[in-house]
Amino acid sequence: MDAENKQYMPWICDKCKKELILRKVKARYLEGNFEVELMKCPVCSMVFIEEDLAMGKMLEVEKGLEDK
Amino acid sequence: MDLDKLLETSDRCIYDEPPSCTSNCPVHMDVIAFVTEMEKGEFGKAYAVMEKRIPFARIIGSICDHPCKKACVRADSGGAIEISELEKAALIFGYSPPKRTMSAAKNKGRAAVVGGGISGLTAAFDLDKKGYRVTLYEKSGRLGGRIWDCAGEDLKKEIIEEELQIIAKQGINTELNTYVDKKGLEELIKEYDAVYLGTGIWDEELKVHPDTFQVGETPLFVGGSLANKNDSVIFSASSGRRAAISMDRYIKKISITASREREGFFETPLKYVEEDVQPAAPVKKELAAYSEDEAIREAGRCFKCRCRKCIESCSHLSGFDISPKSYMRQINQSERIILGTHYANKMINSCTMCGLCKVECFKGISMKGVIQETRESMVARGKMPVSAHDFALRDMQFSNSMRFWMVRKQPESFQELYKDTEKTKYLFYPGCQLPASYPEYVMEAYKYLVSNMKGGVGIFLGCCGAPADWAGRQDLMKENIEKIKGIWENIGKPTFIMACSGCCSVFEKYLPEIDFVSVWEIFAQKGLPRNNKISDKGVLSVHDACTTRYNGKIHDSIREIAALSGYSIHELKYSKERTKCCGYGGLVYFANREQSAAFISDRIRECDNDLLVYCAMCKDLFVSGGKRTLHILDLIFGNDTESIALRKMPTLSDRHKNRVLLKIRLLREIWGEEPDMNLEKQTGLNLIIPENVRLLMEDRYILLEDMERVIDNSQKSGERFFNPEDRNFLARLRLDNITYWVRYEEKDDKILINSIYSHRMEIVEE
Repeated sequence: MDAENKQYMPWICDKCKKELILRKVKARYLEGNFEVELMKCPVCSMVFIEEDLAMGKMLEVEKGLEDK
Repeated sequence: MDLDKLLETSDRCIYDEPPSCTSNCPVHMDVIAFVTEMEKGEFGKAYAVMEKRIPFARIIGSICDHPCKKACVRADSGGAIEISELEKAALIFGYSPPKRTMSAAKNKGRAAVVGGGISGLTAAFDLDKKGYRVTLYEKSGRLGGRIWDCAGEDLKKEIIEEELQIIAKQGINTELNTYVDKKGLEELIKEYDAVYLGTGIWDEELKVHPDTFQVGETPLFVGGSLANKNDSVIFSASSGRRAAISMDRYIKKISITASREREGFFETPLKYVEEDVQPAAPVKKELAAYSEDEAIREAGRCFKCRCRKCIESCSHLSGFDISPKSYMRQINQSERIILGTHYANKMINSCTMCGLCKVECFKGISMKGVIQETRESMVARGKMPVSAHDFALRDMQFSNSMRFWMVRKQPESFQELYKDTEKTKYLFYPGCQLPASYPEYVMEAYKYLVSNMKGGVGIFLGCCGAPADWAGRQDLMKENIEKIKGIWENIGKPTFIMACSGCCSVFEKYLPEIDFVSVWEIFAQKGLPRNNKISDKGVLSVHDACTTRYNGKIHDSIREIAALSGYSIHELKYSKERTKCCGYGGLVYFANREQSAAFISDRIRECDNDLLVYCAMCKDLFVSGGKRTLHILDLIFGNDTESIALRKMPTLSDRHKNRVLLKIRLLREIWGEEPDMNLEKQTGLNLIIPENVRLLMEDRYILLEDMERVIDNSQKSGERFFNPEDRNFLARLRLDNITYWVRYEEKDDKILINSIYSHRMEIVEE
């Protein structure tokens, strides 16, 4: 997800009323630690994860790590 | 996990043991590979299979006395396979001249072969290939011996000549017109490293070892009809070959006898039974030999004997197309992986642990036991994928929480029925999934038991621990068992009355000290609560529960109840001890839905009648596959079996709710108690959940409770995203290592759910 391919993002943080920004975010599961670029609120840091990502790539990585 | 024991068990599996034709062939031709190629019309490849094992294949293939034929399993179903005719067809349609091969350096030593018949030719050819300088002595003017007696229509002289040229082409030194007598032989023994004698006749009795063909400890080896005492062509070839192996070992000074158990004829451990076989007579040949088409059809009659009994009866083994033998080897590899991917995990978690394989197996090998041990080992090593059994284990935790779990003695209000209610002779234990699917029947059954059983009947709601057992979680299992045992002792060691087959098997395995009886036996003995006896209600096929496959009392009771209810029974091919799993066992329903679906549809395909089951999950799963299915309690307490037969399984959330409501109802109606907490955990949210979202919740194992907690939290804390274009909110909440996301709209006082999903990965918000 680099800046050029940045998709149209209508979602805002409801609490802070801020537009989301693309930032490197830490993710971890079992023995795995990674950094991924995801949309987050610049104020409260709440990270936005859309359904396709959760049920697609994330699930795949989770399963992969579970079989390690 | 004892991996040596595992490999020993794997070696006992007869899946890849040779068929009896191959074990009865002295040179062990791979008959299955041969006929398989024939059947495909690949005559060249079929010939290559012959040539690999049969020396001078064009000669021996034409005159072989085929001892394999008398061992053919097809013999009882129309007639043995015409193997010799098939071999002839392979020679006609598939022969190609041998490719020139580089001959090995002849530096291993010198060997003499006396006698140029079948066995001598074979010994000379093999010794030459092994790297010996061979001299072949023949008393007559040509090689071949009694092969020439067979020359005729089937075996043309030109072919014999052509085939025997192999000897000269290999560079084997041949001394024709050279008669070797006793004295000559002694000289050869002095001159050569080893000597082979294959003359058919010899004027002194030689003591030949039956397996090594060696004479005493000497360098002399004897084969052919001299050793075999018969005139079998193929035995002669085999003895020449085996003697050559002995001579090679003798010269190299290594053990002549080690690891030679399976040379020549041997008894194969393979057992093969073809069920539902159609008899078929051998294909007749129109002319002197099979045409291509005739040969293809004859090859098609071969059973290609291989023990696949367990595989054919099991949707798991057949789905993964794996024999127990290679399954256990894969487990062995998986257990030994230190760094890397455990590719077998999904397979290991797709076995229903139903135990049918053991029933089917000639050797009594049980994958159930192997899988149980493997899963326990995976858990112990921290290698069990968390997501495989997480939901089922949380469900078990729920059943054993105060929201469902309860123990009560028979209430005093029932004293008018039986005075001595202080005692609890029986404890009704309906399990967790029956109350989840059919709470109303549990209530009815308890009332029935109280009125029919003397000595006081208490009730115990909870989960026996089967999910922990299936998941390999011995820690949770032991804890649960201790808890049940404590209750049992505390209450005066009552007999448990079971309504779930899964519980029965757990009690048999972990709580042998507790006596139990199935509620079905009680119904069969004491009679049904309603006068249901209307005959001719129809025919049902019983699907026995796999967890009680060996419990004949339960099998009989179910059939009696069906008869008392006016049904007649059709027995399935796989029933009672041989029953199949519905697809729920071993938590496969949670770990691999596709595998579970394969079990469901396999069983449904097996029968035309409506099914009769006595396990809640069996009913729910078969109905989910579109099969009309009645639970035995539908027969006892149900009204309108028409609609009940296709009544859908409650959702995962409703399964929780049903258990909670049953507890509340029992407490209120039977014990006159008010539950002391908010068992239902109502949030007061007014949710609209469309059907597509309900399906997502089922597929993704998300409960209504979790959804409500996410929304509740987002509304209270304001932690949510908002899309001004479609006015959707997206909220997340992490609960017990899972982050749940809910997308919703607020419509006045209602909340419309648009989607729900989750992930296990943790995102650090900083």
